[in-house]
Amino acid sequence: MSTQVNSVEKAPRASGWKSWLKHPLLRRVVQLGAAGYILFLVIQHIVVGEGGDVVTASAEAFCPFGGLETLYKFITSGGTFVSHTHLSNLVMLIAVLVTALLLRSAFCGWICPLGFIQEMISAFSRLLQKWIPGFKRAVASLKQRGARLAVLDRYLRWVKYLVLAWAVGGSAYFGYMVFRDVDPWAALLNLAEFSFTPGFVVLLITLAASFFVERPWCRYACPLGAASGLMGKLSPVAVKRNEETCISCKLCTKACPMGLQVHTADRVQSLDCNSCLECVASCPKKGALEVQMGLPFGKK
Amino acid sequence: MRINPVLYGVLVVVIFFGVILGFQAAGVWSISGKVDNNGKAIQPDANNVESIKGWMTLEQICTVYNVSLPELLAQFGLPADTPATTALKDLESDTFDTTALRAWLQSKAQGGEPVQSATASPTAAPEPESTLQPAVEPTAEQPVSPTAEPTAHMPPARTITGKTTFQELLDWGLAQSTIEGILGEGMPAGATVIKDYVTGKGLEFSSIKTSLQAELDKLP
Repeated sequence: MSTQVNSVEKAPRASGWKSWLKHPLLRRVVQLGAAGYILFLVIQHIVVGEGGDVVTASAEAFCPFGGLETLYKFITSGGTFVSHTHLSNLVMLIAVLVTALLLRSAFCGWICPLGFIQEMISAFSRLLQKWIPGFKRAVASLKQRGARLAVLDRYLRWVKYLVLAWAVGGSAYFGYMVFRDVDPWAALLNLAEFSFTPGFVVLLITLAASFFVERPWCRYACPLGAASGLMGKLSPVAVKRNEETCISCKLCTKACPMGLQVHTADRVQSLDCNSCLECVASCPKKGALEVQMGLPFGKK
Repeated sequence: MRINPVLYGVLVVVIFFGVILGFQAAGVWSISGKVDNNGKAIQPDANNVESIKGWMTLEQICTVYNVSLPELLAQFGLPADTPATTALKDLESDTFDTTALRAWLQSKAQGGEPVQSATASPTAAPEPESTLQPAVEPTAEQPVSPTAEPTAHMPPARTITGKTTFQELLDWGLAQSTIEGILGEGMPAGATVIKDYVTGKGLEFSSIKTSLQAELDKLP
């Protein structure tokens, strides 16, 4: 296995439309479309309101996690819902889980607007670091000081499963969405109400942390990502690293927004993988990282 | 089998949105409690006050239940210039919510006289001091007297609304054992909103509320 990056056999350069139709661009287009649609819903709901003849949907009606929170009540009380949820939430949940079952947590990596916003902030942070040397030094210094906390990373990643259990169990027990008050997504959708809720504080912390850590909410606290990751464990699709072709340049690991050690994996089957395929895009060696279909629970 | 990353992205879009479109095509889709599964607008039912929802407007209520807007506003001490297009939930306060409105409309429908209205002019916003006590849910045991003196000034301190918590009941002097007796089980955390808790348990909020209010009214 060569360790010389400059001896990499690069993929042949595509021509015509294939030269710009790459999956990272497609991913951004899909993310932008999803975020734009949610923004449209929010603005429409504010402008049109609820008093007119036209029924405008609250963007919360499109939140898949609302489906998980209302699922227990829906099943046990003959099709009724907890407040702020509708049939659309359940359908969105089913769409997320079916996608996860077939293609891992692709909803998180390709569609989720909150993940997209975090990625955009991280990209903006990188741009600022490029433009402002002082900011770059400050971020580097903070990361250096925070390096000793890196040991906590693997434990903090379990927090999202606790959040999932609390949010779903609490909603089932109390009959209302116990998670909504601290949900940064709900806070973002209701930003126009200028409510200083715990969720708003969580949102601010998430957005601020995105300057230093990629997708902090997804890594540590997102209950929907936790549910999707668990379902994705059954998926036959995963990123496969070809050990014989890999040159261990670690570019894939650096590119991973979820902080996974892609360069040491055989198949990337982590519960945290959101299938964004940034690792595949960053790989300089043809055939070293590929999306492959195989048996779930295969060799790591 | 290798999958092209672009194809993978296309599959994500097709599967995710395909599932949603499939459910929509099958009629399994609703984005609002304002429309039924067939997309027809849900309207308040003149024979059933329980059909009143927080998103409904004053205008809808006045039309369906045949009450005048000034009468309704005065009944609950709401500003007389409140637009008829205002949603009920936007007017929620300690003195007004959909539960209180249902109770009042129910009493009117049963022929009972509502609590005496405010004397403020319907064309002018009443002074806060001139607002009347809201309708306490009338019950068979406690009919609202048509000749009751209007209790002026502030809203009653011990009226259960959709936002009242168990802690407030305790603060008002109601014993925990009394609350638990009505609930038929242990009391949850004090900060829990009674309505959320009761509806979450599949119980009728109005009946629990009536029982609790009756106990509150017995207190000195």
